[in-house]
Amino acid sequence: MTDPRAGGDSRDGAAAPAVVIGLGTEHRGDDSVGLLVARALRTRLAPPGAVLERSAEGTELLDLWDGRDLVVVVDAVQGGGAPGTVLRFEVGGEPLPAPLSATSTHGISLAQAVALGQTLNRLPRRLVIYGIEASAFAPGSDASPAVAGAVEPVARMVEEEFRRHGGLDRGATPGGPADA
Amino acid sequence: MTDRTIAVDYLARVEGEGALRVRIHDRSVEEVELKIFEPPRFFEAFLRGRSYLEAPDITARICGICPVAYQMSACHAMERGLGLTVSPAVRALRRLLYCGEWIESHALHVYLLHLPDFLGYPDAIRMAKEHRGAVEKGLALKKVGNAIMSLLGGREIHPVNVRVGGFYRCPSREELETLRPQIVTALGLAEETVRLTAGLPFPSVEEEYEFVSLRHPEEYPMNEGDIVSSRGLRIPVDRFEEEFEEFQVPHSHALHARRRNGGSYLVGSMARYALNRDRLLPKADAIAREVGLEPVVRNPYRSIVVRAVETVQACEDALRILDAYRPPDRPWVEPTGALKPGACVAATEAPRGLLFHRYRLDATGLIQEARIVPPTSQNQKRIEDDVRDVVGRSLDLDEAGLTTECERAIRNHDPCISCATHFLTLDLVRSGGP
Repeated sequence: MTDPRAGGDSRDGAAAPAVVIGLGTEHRGDDSVGLLVARALRTRLAPPGAVLERSAEGTELLDLWDGRDLVVVVDAVQGGGAPGTVLRFEVGGEPLPAPLSATSTHGISLAQAVALGQTLNRLPRRLVIYGIEASAFAPGSDASPAVAGAVEPVARMVEEEFRRHGGLDRGATPGGPADA
Repeated sequence: MTDRTIAVDYLARVEGEGALRVRIHDRSVEEVELKIFEPPRFFEAFLRGRSYLEAPDITARICGICPVAYQMSACHAMERGLGLTVSPAVRALRRLLYCGEWIESHALHVYLLHLPDFLGYPDAIRMAKEHRGAVEKGLALKKVGNAIMSLLGGREIHPVNVRVGGFYRCPSREELETLRPQIVTALGLAEETVRLTAGLPFPSVEEEYEFVSLRHPEEYPMNEGDIVSSRGLRIPVDRFEEEFEEFQVPHSHALHARRRNGGSYLVGSMARYALNRDRLLPKADAIAREVGLEPVVRNPYRSIVVRAVETVQACEDALRILDAYRPPDRPWVEPTGALKPGACVAATEAPRGLLFHRYRLDATGLIQEARIVPPTSQNQKRIEDDVRDVVGRSLDLDEAGLTTECERAIRNHDPCISCATHFLTLDLVRSGGP
């Protein structure tokens, strides 16, 4: 299918490889946590294109999701829990639970992008969202210790998602997407 | 007399977040306050002591939607101060990159943020259930903008390929040509967008705006030109601060802007179009004529048509740049000899309007002072004026209706509050009779 909506980083052919997308904003305290998780995973997940960093603008996510088997999104959330608390949710047909809806937004938030993806049938086959409770967003600050402390545990959880999915093995296969 | 309060905690469909407070007493609008925080102030401090080479990448972080605008204003400011002249090919590539950002930003606002107001939906998701084709069209158009930014910027959201003096790497002609089929498609989609938006129902409202934008001798303005206004002002960009002032208001962390000895003014697509209608390329001009778009649009709701016309303009411009492109001999130029920086000043046209940067460097090229005036800061006062007018016209509406009208008045100007803030809440207070 030559779908013009195919994922931006995907190649023609079968389902595009699994990706993890770290969402966040640099220099805005805890809002950078999704980016930090992505950076922690950069050398640990194959293929090299499996790790993406983005500033949250929801509609771009639709393009990145399209045609993929597995997408893991990591973002800061404000759900009222203790900073550093990790929430995991696998998207089905229902809206995101309230804490995950409270991700930082641009015009179209992550929760809205999920809803739009559901409406337009543009979700990946599996979409897993990790939300890390965040509380400090002062411009110029780094992630707070509690939130930074969640980076490595979440990175390991994402690795495990990939392992269960087979992404680690598949990515290392000669001639596979790793060569792209 | 009874007091009435309307509070809405979240104003949807604007970029970023902020707060609006409206106070009505009897039948008079006593107070309209748009409150936004302002990262640019933080970034001004953050830039001090950094190399002039870092300004484009650091300022690009101010806004997730218009990073190119920040890069362009920063690069042009440094190059003017350092006396660097970029090659015509680099100049063209920068314009192409900016076209990508305009297409991306306008497509997002027109289809996903603004259109639901006209079709009667609370958001794009519910609109997508019944107008799937429109949303798909918007996403497809936006994706072409992303593709241009990705090719020239290295990454879709925060381009990292731009530098003072040019680009770290310039694409080959073949690489650039890969964009052509997508841009041709986008041009057609953009023309359809003009027809679609021109047919929407518009409230019959006219505002008395002072429009402010760049004006270039030959081109629809992006990276170069004098600053002009619809009240006859014409100044080189380095005189911006003589004619426009920022001032502190108690209710907002952000500075507001006004004409010195004057009032509010408007930057952005309506201003650019009003002041540069004669600079549109043939297809953009033709489609504007076809739908009967007036040469000066004073109805803020019709800004959606203007953004659509500017999207045609950006696609058409991008194709012209592709036609003429030959890679430059050198991707960038550097200052030669000792740095003798003068005033590093530039203004470029972000999708949302004039973005002014001024820097002062020391002899080693470290930034001593930075001044950044984003378009949304400049429009804040004017947006408040629009809200005041709409509330004054809509006093008989119930709270929900009035709130919707306030939100629409704000969205008409596509405020990029992420350049300035995180959360926008609406607080409507009525005292006296309804």
